[in-house]
Amino acid sequence: MAIELRAVRYRYAGASKDALQSIDLRLEPGRVLGVVGANESGKTTLCLVAGGFAPGVVGGRLEESARIDGVETTSIPTHALALRCGLLFQNAATQLSNTTATVFEEVGFGPCNLGLVVPDVIERVWWALKAVGVEDLAPRDPARLSGGQGQLVALASVLALRPRYLILDEPTSELDPAGTALVADALARVASETGAGIMLVEHKAEVLARIADEVIVLGEGSVALAGPAAAVLADPMLAELGIEPPERIGLERDVRAAGLDWPAVLAEAPA
Amino acid sequence: MSGHDRRLDHSAPAASAGATADSGSSGSAGAGNGSTWSGSAQAGRSAAPSSADPAAPSGAPSAAPSIELEGVSFSYPDGTPALENIELRIDPGELVAIVGQNGSGKSTLARHLNGLLRPTAGRILLGGRDVRGLHVARLAERVGLAFQNPDRQLFAGRVSAEVAFGPRNLGLRGAELDERVRAALDAVGLSAEAASNPYDLGYSRRKLLSLASVLAMRTPILVLDEPTTGQDARGAARVRAVVAVAAGEGRTVIAISHDMRFVAECFRRVVVMRAGRVVLDGTPDVVFGEATWPELRAAYLEPPFAALAGARLGLGATPSAASFVAALGQRARNA
Amino acid sequence: MSSASVATGSGLPEYVTRRPGGFYRSTNPSTKLAIAALEVVAAFAVPGLPGPLLVLGAVLVSGLAARRLRGLAVLALAASPIVGSILLVNLFLLPGASDPIARLGPLAPTWSGLWFGLQTVARLLVFSTAIALVYLTTAVDDLLADLARRGLGRRAIFVVGAAVQMVPRTIGRAAEIVDAQRARGLDTEGRFWQRARGVVPLAAPVVFGALTEVEERTMALEARAFSAPGRQTLLRIPADTAFDRVLRWAAVFALIAVVGLRVAGRLG
Repeated sequence: MAIELRAVRYRYAGASKDALQSIDLRLEPGRVLGVVGANESGKTTLCLVAGGFAPGVVGGRLEESARIDGVETTSIPTHALALRCGLLFQNAATQLSNTTATVFEEVGFGPCNLGLVVPDVIERVWWALKAVGVEDLAPRDPARLSGGQGQLVALASVLALRPRYLILDEPTSELDPAGTALVADALARVASETGAGIMLVEHKAEVLARIADEVIVLGEGSVALAGPAAAVLADPMLAELGIEPPERIGLERDVRAAGLDWPAVLAEAPA
Repeated sequence: MSGHDRRLDHSAPAASAGATADSGSSGSAGAGNGSTWSGSAQAGRSAAPSSADPAAPSGAPSAAPSIELEGVSFSYPDGTPALENIELRIDPGELVAIVGQNGSGKSTLARHLNGLLRPTAGRILLGGRDVRGLHVARLAERVGLAFQNPDRQLFAGRVSAEVAFGPRNLGLRGAELDERVRAALDAVGLSAEAASNPYDLGYSRRKLLSLASVLAMRTPILVLDEPTTGQDARGAARVRAVVAVAAGEGRTVIAISHDMRFVAECFRRVVVMRAGRVVLDGTPDVVFGEATWPELRAAYLEPPFAALAGARLGLGATPSAASFVAALGQRARNA
Repeated sequence: MSSASVATGSGLPEYVTRRPGGFYRSTNPSTKLAIAALEVVAAFAVPGLPGPLLVLGAVLVSGLAARRLRGLAVLALAASPIVGSILLVNLFLLPGASDPIARLGPLAPTWSGLWFGLQTVARLLVFSTAIALVYLTTAVDDLLADLARRGLGRRAIFVVGAAVQMVPRTIGRAAEIVDAQRARGLDTEGRFWQRARGVVPLAAPVVFGALTEVEERTMALEARAFSAPGRQTLLRIPADTAFDRVLRWAAVFALIAVVGLRVAGRLG
């Protein structure tokens, strides 16, 4: 019961080289897997491949095995993909359907597409809104939400399909610190309360330090590092791969580079 | 400052040691010093430089005008208030970061600096003169504003054409224009992509391209809207290098940001905004010092980790990594 | 997986089930569309001038009753350049006209020209005001919901909804693009020929932005099972009273009748 990629290679249609080269990855329900990498290292492609959208929706060529719960993604019809794996992207505004007048209906967009009966739709909508913590946004106009709120609503509307896995491609990149914290906390809550497996691509190593269990590092289309979050984020190779480590790690590195000791009292996050 | 220098991309133009932001130093640096941008900004224009007249084009960075906001208020046409009675003075050569959460008015304030928005009350002075009657196109000679989203600007088929757009609008042609383009691309590390299509570059580099297109205008005042947001480590390092070089040339650099570490590392003055008002204004030492943390948090901001760590160890104000390392080293030596 | 069902209203929050009130506004959207179609067809099918003028009058009266006359007046005002030019062209240049009103040097305005011009203008105004009235009295969501109820596919619905919503978004984005280019010295306040040079720097990013957004939007839709088979469940159902239905069918029959009479040459 996992999303599993084994030695996956992927190339976009018409591209001259592979976007992903030999990726091994495993995402289990209830776990948060962080993905970091420099820009253009293949993070977005990885999200699409893991979620089955590549090659399903965007075309291209996939080699070797990408499976969701044991089934090859290429053999899952597109609309069924959404039931297994919810995908979220950077820009909150483009993820809204623009056909609904209230957040309630927006979150219900997915279940309505599936043709569920109204009572089921209602139940799912409230469940999703609660899981993300945005019930009070239900009557609002989706077009008038702030960036952070928009992302939360998009998260709820994907959750309403009750997917077992969630894949998020830099959901906080356009948010300020407050919005980022909102989304990070909501994700942690979703993972623990709904048991969904979450794959989170992030620039902000801080976010991953906070909520990720494991982290993999992408460099030029392949996995450069993988392991428990704390260990990977502290690895010196991050800098060479063009990734900013969490502030605490970066500071520790600077201190040691100056020949000083890192004070023990800072080993845990200060108050 | 070994810890700090390591962050700079080593292929960036050499920045003078005095230009790197250090919380201890203050005041503006001198005129340009051996960077790839040396020389006056707008040789294409013939008007004599005059620091008192903001409309007269002047290239020499030391003639950067001051900016003053006097009682500036702004409400959007639909009535939403965005700025309330802002009093702010930015002197030539200052490195100022304007911080706040989304909606605090910082971007709105940035757009007032080059005339894209006009205050509904109060006035804005550039070099002592009211900018009320001046078109944005004229103000663009003095105040360059780099936007947060590069995709709202890029339109040319080639990177070099994109960078040439700004200086061309300012009247430059020929060899002078080519030199500007070359220097700007060099400063952001995109020289190899001069003939590429902007949309073939990834987001990070498109953002650097958009920055280059403003740098090429060689304005004495540079305003950067969220320059590190969405950037990876290399891109962010480039931005820091660009800020350092501009500072070394005596330009006024104003950044809108919610990246507190970038702010602490590169700027000498921090203006905190909340709900359209300025709530804090001082050096990073002061603004990120323990005494003002409650106020910062009330503005939905968190001090940089170095400040938190420094406070935890009782080292005093250490907003940047460099200052933290220095203070720690000082303590070790005294022990 | 259950079959699509009509919202019973129970359990759904009030802000989803609430219906608009007021004359004409509370009329079912499809009925309004049918009436507008009848008005347009009638204006074009009935020859002569009194016919279209009467229809125009009917539209304006409905607009008055629905309290949207001001919106229609604004539209008419916006159309005045076109109206003016149509009148002038027909007045002076109608081919084959031989009944001059007066002689102004080389120009000879004709009665037939005036008549024909007024007729064309009236038809044009009926067309635009009838459609505008529907637009002004109907929320897009309600219209789409009604069409969905009648079986219009979800793709068509999405296209219409997204296109309508795209207008304010594109305007907003365009405004930001204009700002960004102005910040690089593009002159938008100066002389005309200078401003004309700004077309590409202003238009290109809008187009690129719209295009690059398409892929992301597509994926966001797929991520919400947009291509699932079967009928969509509808949460928002506009009212469709007996009166609405009668009115709608009457309009459709009248429309067919008018077309038939016109084709048969009976409208004189």
